[in-house]
Amino acid sequence: MTSVANPDTATSRAASPSASRSAAGFLGWLMSPERRGPLLIAPALITLFVVNIFPLMWSFGLSFFAYKANRLAPPVFIGLRNYSDVLTDSDIWERFQHTATIVVGSVALQLVVGFLLALLFAQEFPLRRYLLMLVLSPMMLSLSAVGVFFRLFYDPTLGFISRFISLFTPDTFVILSTPARATIAIVVVDAWMWSPFVMLLVLAGLVSVPKYLYEAAEIDRAGWWRRFRTITFPYIRSLLLLALLFRTIEAFKIFDIVYLVTEGGPGSSTETVSVYVFRLAFQFFRTSQASALGYIMLFAVIVLTSLYLYAIQTREVEA
Amino acid sequence: MHEIRLEKVTKRFGNGLVAVDKADLDVGRGEVMCLLGPSGCGKTTMLRMIAGLEWATSGDIMIGNRRVNDLPPRERNVAMAFQFYALYPSLSVGENLAYPLHAEKLSKAEITQRVARVSQALDLTSILERRPHQLGEGEKQRVAVGRSIIRDPTCFLFDEPLSRLDIQLRQTMRTQIKEILSTLDKPTVIVTHDQIEALTMADRIAVMQAGRIEQIASPDELFSMPTNLFVGGFIGTPQMNLLEATLTEVGQRDSAGSVTARFALLGEIISASVNSRVGDFEPGSKVTLGIRPRSFEFVDIGTTDALHADVDITEPMGAETLAHLIEKGSDLRCVVQSSIRLAPGNRVAIRCKPGQLHVFDSSGILVR
Amino acid sequence: MEKAREIRAIGQAGWGRTLGAGIISAVYFFPVFFIITTAFKTRPDALAMPIKFFFTPTFENFYSVFQRADIQGGGTTNSGFGLYFFNSLFIGGTSVFLALIIGTAAAYGFSRFPLRGNDTYLFIILTTRMLPPIIAIIPIFVLFRVFGLSGSYTGVIALYTAFNLPFSIWMAKSFFDDLDRDIEDAARMDGSSEWSVFRKICLPQVYGGLAATFVFAVILTWNEFLFALMLTGTETRTVPVAIARTIGGQVGVDWGLMSAIETLFIIPVVIVTFVLQNQLLRGVTFGTIRK
Repeated sequence: MTSVANPDTATSRAASPSASRSAAGFLGWLMSPERRGPLLIAPALITLFVVNIFPLMWSFGLSFFAYKANRLAPPVFIGLRNYSDVLTDSDIWERFQHTATIVVGSVALQLVVGFLLALLFAQEFPLRRYLLMLVLSPMMLSLSAVGVFFRLFYDPTLGFISRFISLFTPDTFVILSTPARATIAIVVVDAWMWSPFVMLLVLAGLVSVPKYLYEAAEIDRAGWWRRFRTITFPYIRSLLLLALLFRTIEAFKIFDIVYLVTEGGPGSSTETVSVYVFRLAFQFFRTSQASALGYIMLFAVIVLTSLYLYAIQTREVEA
Repeated sequence: MHEIRLEKVTKRFGNGLVAVDKADLDVGRGEVMCLLGPSGCGKTTMLRMIAGLEWATSGDIMIGNRRVNDLPPRERNVAMAFQFYALYPSLSVGENLAYPLHAEKLSKAEITQRVARVSQALDLTSILERRPHQLGEGEKQRVAVGRSIIRDPTCFLFDEPLSRLDIQLRQTMRTQIKEILSTLDKPTVIVTHDQIEALTMADRIAVMQAGRIEQIASPDELFSMPTNLFVGGFIGTPQMNLLEATLTEVGQRDSAGSVTARFALLGEIISASVNSRVGDFEPGSKVTLGIRPRSFEFVDIGTTDALHADVDITEPMGAETLAHLIEKGSDLRCVVQSSIRLAPGNRVAIRCKPGQLHVFDSSGILVR
Repeated sequence: MEKAREIRAIGQAGWGRTLGAGIISAVYFFPVFFIITTAFKTRPDALAMPIKFFFTPTFENFYSVFQRADIQGGGTTNSGFGLYFFNSLFIGGTSVFLALIIGTAAAYGFSRFPLRGNDTYLFIILTTRMLPPIIAIIPIFVLFRVFGLSGSYTGVIALYTAFNLPFSIWMAKSFFDDLDRDIEDAARMDGSSEWSVFRKICLPQVYGGLAATFVFAVILTWNEFLFALMLTGTETRTVPVAIARTIGGQVGVDWGLMSAIETLFIIPVVIVTFVLQNQLLRGVTFGTIRK
């Protein structure tokens, strides 16, 4: 005969006071005010740790071993030899040079063009909204599409850029034929894609200048150059710096475009460090060396990111 | 020949808003004119039109006998101190002060000299190297003023110069600015919403409301002879009592140009000696009587010709006390010496002191 | 935060400016224009040199996108680009959604309950976003193989979630920082619990911003190439990888088809950019800069 009281609940009810007290205790401890911050942040940090930081630490450890991912041989500890190999490898320095050339060229071009674009779009004029969208369109393409299509555009027979330039040269102009030309080709693509980004930043600065500063300058009879130097430029200077740092960090990462447009060619003249690491790891399977090189890059990125954060905070203080 | 003159100046904005409506104004050389009024009355717009930061829709703006309507600010040679100071954030205090001088092509020595002179007058010498974001409100304000007086302009324009300062600083700066202005002998226009500022600093005040100038007069005249209800109610703290009344009878004119009249208000009849023009009104006319809180005198209860009321709340103000009296639903503000003790619930009788009763007709204009 | 839907301007200029800006905009837009128009061209038209501006449009490329089965190198599968679009959407959407949940919580924590190590944590988080994917790809690739996650949805989604976390955190934090604390304090004094304050006061105010973050993050994930290249398999491949694979091996790339693919791919981005103009600046700088 079934009794009214469920034996299970009876037992649990008997056990519950102390159990729930400790459960409530733990929950209380967890949710108490001091713990709230950490509680909220924990899942994010854990995820990042597991997916990003743990692998990074693992490969950091690995960089001290000799290991090739395509062989079954276990890693052999060799200390800093990977790093010294990497740092003395002239190939690597060549790649750093290429990367530096591309980064400097592209970022400089982006800053100048972006700045001029911002000046252009600072005032309202008919159709401004739509033209602005057109200028922002390059940023919306996927990098792989950009790479693929610009490869077409640079093609000597089929690409309109090559054909356009050929109008001015005696014979067919092959853009990707020489290192210099290939580098310029990549710089142009990158700058094309990202100068609108700089424009956005500078534009934000230009329109945030309080009107009354310009009025005061007008009353003080300052000329346009003076106004620009003392009022406008200081406002956008901090944004330009942020753009510079941000784009430099991003430019360091250039992989997709180089890989798809020139494949690092001709030869290896446009091969950036990113592409080289990729090759090291997945073509030559020198996994641990690739890790070491990766860590050197990481160090550079950390330095740049610190500068970037510092610049952001300075800007907020002065605002 | 430095004066400012506005003739029938109107400013209409694109959306139809009339910010300034056919205003006439003139400011003499060395005179300090305050534009006073509540927010939105058009005073700042008027100032900006004199500066050239807004174009006048119609009318003439003359500075030093020259019509400047079509001239941009830089060609009017005016100096202006902005409400938010408008100090150049990337320049030091010294560079801010020197900024307007670069347009005059002075030698470096001359510039340094002038900066030194001004910074000394305004006590800025110790902070010449600092930048605006490192300054306190008072310091910023002095730099803004300094930047104006370092030049030799046709006139000075100040937009709410003291509004962002605390009471103490305000009092100090009021005196200081007044001293400086008196040495400069140029027409000055100051915009403010604070009447204490206007009453203490101005030679004459233009009271504005909704784009129109209500009255232009010296502080004394504004106080003792407000032309309409608005000015009467605006000038003077605590606010003037404005009571609706009916004229019951008018007596004979006497030699001094006054006439005795009787008014019915708050259920009682009082008589007072008022301006003879009141005699032009028919008995039974509706008028508004204006009595300032300090114009009352206390009399014994039961006196004829006096108003009776109950004490509602008293607010001690130090040497004086502000008493709120209430009668038949109407509020009366009365300021008395604190030695006279009044308690809530007391019944009192008050009378207006002779010659201090203002009579406004049914359209709000002072009868005189 | 501004309510204006447009990117602001100062002052006014005339049609002369429009002409100059028009020329420059045309230069910037031309490659995009090329891609979009080529999508409507027939195969011979697509490769015509000099560029054919006048042509009879056709929709055949768009049909091919979803039906042609042998476009991929190694065409042993029946899947057309329909699958790849789905993959991009599914992987992108899920990972961003997860990232937003975890990220918003963390951002709220960073913003409202600052810890001593706050700056360090935020710095690490930002660095994670900034570092070249190359550095991370190697160990992750190996680990994926070890754990058998290569080519699966789970692995990629987990990775992209972590990938999108820094962005979500920085964006959400910037929104929370902008809020007016007085309202929250008033609610606390009225007896609301912390959870209530979060849910009823903070969250509603940042919904718009979070929506924008969601969209931006999806766009970024949408366009991601490297990790997708290494970590997705034939069934889980995303569109950018599929596009890139058409380059190698095949004789004569079908540019019309490629253009159609990219055009379809770009449409959501365009709409989003237009709609979210006032959040654009915050979005492209990963939430680190706001006006």
